[in-house]
Amino acid sequence: MPSVPSPSEARSSGPAVPGRDGTILEAHNLIKTFRLGGRDVTVLHGVSLKVKRGEFVALMGPSGSGKSTLLQLLGGLDRPTSGEVILDGEVVSRLSEGEATRLRRDKTGFVFQFFNLIPLLDVYENVALPFTIAGVDPRRGEAAARIVDVLEMVDLVGCERNRPDQLSAGEQQRVALARALVCRPAILLADEPTGNLDYANSGQILDKLWRSCDERGQTIVLVTHDARAAAHADRVLVIGDGAIRDEIELGRRKEIDPRPLITRLAQLGL
Amino acid sequence: MRRFSSLAWRSLLARRLRSVLTIAGVGLGVAVLFASLTASATMDAAVDRAAADEMGHADLRVQTLEERGLSPEAVAAVKGVAGVAVAAPALERKTYLAADPNQTASSALPAPVTVLGIDPSVESQVHDMPLSAGRRLDDTDSLSAVVTQTLAAEQHLRIGDSITVNGSVKSGPQAFSVVGIVVGDGALPDAAGRLLFVPLASAATLFDATGVTRVDLTARPGVSADELSRQIEAAIKTEPYLLQKTADTADSLRAQTADYRGTLLLVVAVVLFAGAFLIFNTLSMTVTERAREVGLLRAAGTSRSQVMSFVLLQALVLGAVGSGVGVVAGVGLAALTLAWVSATGPVALSAPDIAPGSVALALLVGVVVTLAASLEPAWRAGRIPPIEALRRGPKGAVAGEARLRWLGLVFGVLALAAVVVWPRAAESSSASTSGGVAGTSGVGGPLMVYALLLFAVLLVPRVLGPLLRLTGIPFRVFRNEERLARSALARDSSRTALTAGAMVIGLAMVVALGAAALNVRQIGAHWLAETIPGTEVLTSIRPVSPTGAVRDQIAAIPGVKSVSPVGLFGVGLGNVRQEAAAIVGRDFASDGRLVFVTNGGDPASAFAALDAGGTVIVPESLATASNIRLGDTLDFTSGQTSTRLRVVGIVAHSIPGDSEEAILVGWSDAVGPFGATGADFFAVRYAAGQEAAARNLVDATALQYALQPENLDRVTGTVGDALDRVFKLLDALALIAVLIAGLGMVNTLSMSVFERAREIGVLRATGMSSRQVWAMVVIEAGSLGVAGALIGTLVGLFVGGLLVALSSGGFDVGFSPPWDSIALAAFFGVVISVTAAVYPAGIASRQSIVQALQHE
Ligand SMILES: Nc1ncnc2c1ncn2[C@@H]1O[C@H](COP(=O)(O)OP(=O)(O)OP(=O)(O)O)[C@@H](O)[C@H]1O
Ligand SMILES: [Mg+2]
Repeated sequence: MPSVPSPSEARSSGPAVPGRDGTILEAHNLIKTFRLGGRDVTVLHGVSLKVKRGEFVALMGPSGSGKSTLLQLLGGLDRPTSGEVILDGEVVSRLSEGEATRLRRDKTGFVFQFFNLIPLLDVYENVALPFTIAGVDPRRGEAAARIVDVLEMVDLVGCERNRPDQLSAGEQQRVALARALVCRPAILLADEPTGNLDYANSGQILDKLWRSCDERGQTIVLVTHDARAAAHADRVLVIGDGAIRDEIELGRRKEIDPRPLITRLAQLGL
Repeated sequence: MRRFSSLAWRSLLARRLRSVLTIAGVGLGVAVLFASLTASATMDAAVDRAAADEMGHADLRVQTLEERGLSPEAVAAVKGVAGVAVAAPALERKTYLAADPNQTASSALPAPVTVLGIDPSVESQVHDMPLSAGRRLDDTDSLSAVVTQTLAAEQHLRIGDSITVNGSVKSGPQAFSVVGIVVGDGALPDAAGRLLFVPLASAATLFDATGVTRVDLTARPGVSADELSRQIEAAIKTEPYLLQKTADTADSLRAQTADYRGTLLLVVAVVLFAGAFLIFNTLSMTVTERAREVGLLRAAGTSRSQVMSFVLLQALVLGAVGSGVGVVAGVGLAALTLAWVSATGPVALSAPDIAPGSVALALLVGVVVTLAASLEPAWRAGRIPPIEALRRGPKGAVAGEARLRWLGLVFGVLALAAVVVWPRAAESSSASTSGGVAGTSGVGGPLMVYALLLFAVLLVPRVLGPLLRLTGIPFRVFRNEERLARSALARDSSRTALTAGAMVIGLAMVVALGAAALNVRQIGAHWLAETIPGTEVLTSIRPVSPTGAVRDQIAAIPGVKSVSPVGLFGVGLGNVRQEAAAIVGRDFASDGRLVFVTNGGDPASAFAALDAGGTVIVPESLATASNIRLGDTLDFTSGQTSTRLRVVGIVAHSIPGDSEEAILVGWSDAVGPFGATGADFFAVRYAAGQEAAARNLVDATALQYALQPENLDRVTGTVGDALDRVFKLLDALALIAVLIAGLGMVNTLSMSVFERAREIGVLRATGMSSRQVWAMVVIEAGSLGVAGALIGTLVGLFVGGLLVALSSGGFDVGFSPPWDSIALAAFFGVVISVTAAVYPAGIASRQSIVQALQHE
């Protein structure tokens, strides 16, 4: 990265309070192209979106439409071919490797579909991982308090000493969720966290997600196939062929009812 | 089957790095084996050649046991024996060339020359003397000499030049005219090339001698060497002598390298062991990695034996290619080995003899070891059930210890096979006083050490877990990485144990060799300190009068407390040669030398009796071997008579001779019945604190009388240095085992990084920097290296201690840890481990997060 601040960097070092309208995450015209066997395949054709602080957004779309790719760009795991991602005032797509690492550590939390946990660390250690990586002792002070708090939130008190292979799939996913939330990230990015779970366990995870948003103001972007999951969101973005096809405003509700969403999706032919 | 060979081939290509590293490991192992075989064969050939050269066409050599030599009567008697066709007598003496008047005094004596007086009329019938210039000696010559090319080159001699050599005190120096130059070094290993031949009569006059050193005989047609021996034994009964055949000469030369060979065998075994670990680990990983694939094949109807042959085929390819590479590399390694040891060995060595047998053996062992190590992985692959194809997620637990035990069994069997196959390994070596590593035994010692190492490796999995906790401590600075690295190591503990195991035995070997080397040095120092009444010795190549002006003059130098003459000579005791030393008992008594064993007599009276004559002090080794007790009388053959001496003392250790401990007699007996002509060295004891001041004058005086001053420390040092060279070579070979272990570590870490790709992806997504990932893998290797070095050192110390206990020869030298070797082992263990981690760590840290997350 050049040491002379560019206009965008000047903006990134601006006030901690993001966009005037409370926007915490912005994507501008994201294009992502992969080279595949000598051919360029464009997966995202200029995606733009905004997520407000405390908002719960779901990304839906058919398989191969680029949902995971988009999520990875939003979280700074990968760089767009062109376009910009601005997270909490920082231009993610222009960060150096070191800055991107710090951003991942401090501002984003990820939950994936499979194998989220380090098999040889116990539940407590897995949840404590972000602190451990940052060189903070997770056994004392603020860190310990947060870990206890987040374990309570996902109902895993008493399982601290268990190893991942001693837990059910649903419990494992709750550990992963706890780990993603423990640092109170600016945004939680979840890629089909319920894709591998049965009905009851999915419901638990979604409930935890929704409550973290509703009770603690956690901003969430959730990728899912499942309308029942997406129905927990305030807003659903429908992706098709690498672009946002539709936007469905559901608003915050106490009673989650997927039926209106399913009807709406059916109208869109999904 | 065709399909399988292509599948096996592709499986090897798919993990190219792993295959290449494995081949390199097998190659290194086979290279060490081949180099050792070749070095051994070359040494054997050189020994045989040297023995053949020395004996020429002689069927038998009659060798005197005494300084004065075989009398003319005895020589006449030999010549008169019916079975003798040709009898060639010779007189051998070491002397110096007369000093060059222009030469300035120096602190060291020049190298001596050996004069061989021969009978020109018969010598050529027994010994070939290929000339490079001039002519041979003939009957008419008297003051003519034939010199070796080596001596001619060193002294710038040409035909017609004159060469002056020092004779006895009585005859003084004598000039000889050079009439011929013999090719090369001349056939006398002891002379180291500085050899000149003169007519026997001239030599006898020069050295004022009547006897001869040896008579070489050829038998009449139809008379065997054994028959000839019997006839000689019947003919000469009055003088002590030794009968030697070519084979005896070769054996005595070979015996000097026996310890070295035994130890080499051990090191080779260790290196091969490390190679086998690598193979085993590689194939185990391949099988684990391909479990699902194999499950699919099984589900599709592939039979167990087909799956097994798929694994064995891969092993065969790795083994064959590796062995081929190894033999080629082994040629170079053999040349290096020979160059390194020829500086210490008794015979000159040439370029390596590459025997087809050695090539075949090395290839065979390489492939057999590879296949043996792959049997278990192959068997395990065959047992993979078809449902494995449907399994998802982490692999099942593995029975690490059972695997290791199985590997141990294979190696037990291979070790037994090696003993049978190892060329000449079973040959017994004559007892030697100073032990090498295997000093006390031929193959038994190495085998025991090997078994110990094997056992130690089997213990590795048990101690590794707690140890890793310990060895991670230095890396605690990187707290989190260390914690994660340790859990990575715990993931497949049997794989970790295998990886560390190879390193452990290599490092243990280095430490054990170090302990043994250190111990040999210490024994040497203790030995001399216990038996020599002084801190300095003044040695002479020719006997010097024990009571003459030389001794008196040196004893008169202020600060010198005592000067004690010691003469070394051979005596006949019950038809075998026994080395003897003439000493002044009074000096030993006042200096407090020698340790008398319990019931071994009283020192004061024993020493007094020795000076009075008719008595002998024997070393405990001889007393035990020949069942000699205090007060016994021993019959010695001396000249034409027999001499009886009464045993007045038995000592723990005596003055070391060439190949055994000497018996001790007083000077009156030595010069009287035994005909010893003088002292070979004087031991000088300085008054306390005055050595530094008196030393220079003593040395200068000694040099005037052609005595070479030598500090006792230096004497042991010189012996020690030669040993060190050999030990360094063995160390280097043992370190190859560590290197192989390093290759194994690259494999293991690469595999571990590959397996953990997704996990590393999650860590990176959680905010771990690529530098942290790099550190994590390097720490993983580093703590494994530290653990390996720690266990290796402990095992090495144990093995070393055992070797020392076996070979200490009754010296209470104690056991001091070989810090140099421990440092070397620790350094190499950690450096090789960390180096091994660089590549896998690079891969792990550079991996893109997105791709890592997609990995399953
Ligand atoms: N690293 C890559 N290299 C090449 N192509 C890729 C890569 N990652 C994704 N793709 C392609 O991009 C397209 C979108 O992939 P992505 O994983 O984002 O889809 P998705 O919407 O998450 O699908 P799903 O619902 O099945 O998870 C796919 O066609 C995929 O093959
Ligand atoms: Mg996806």
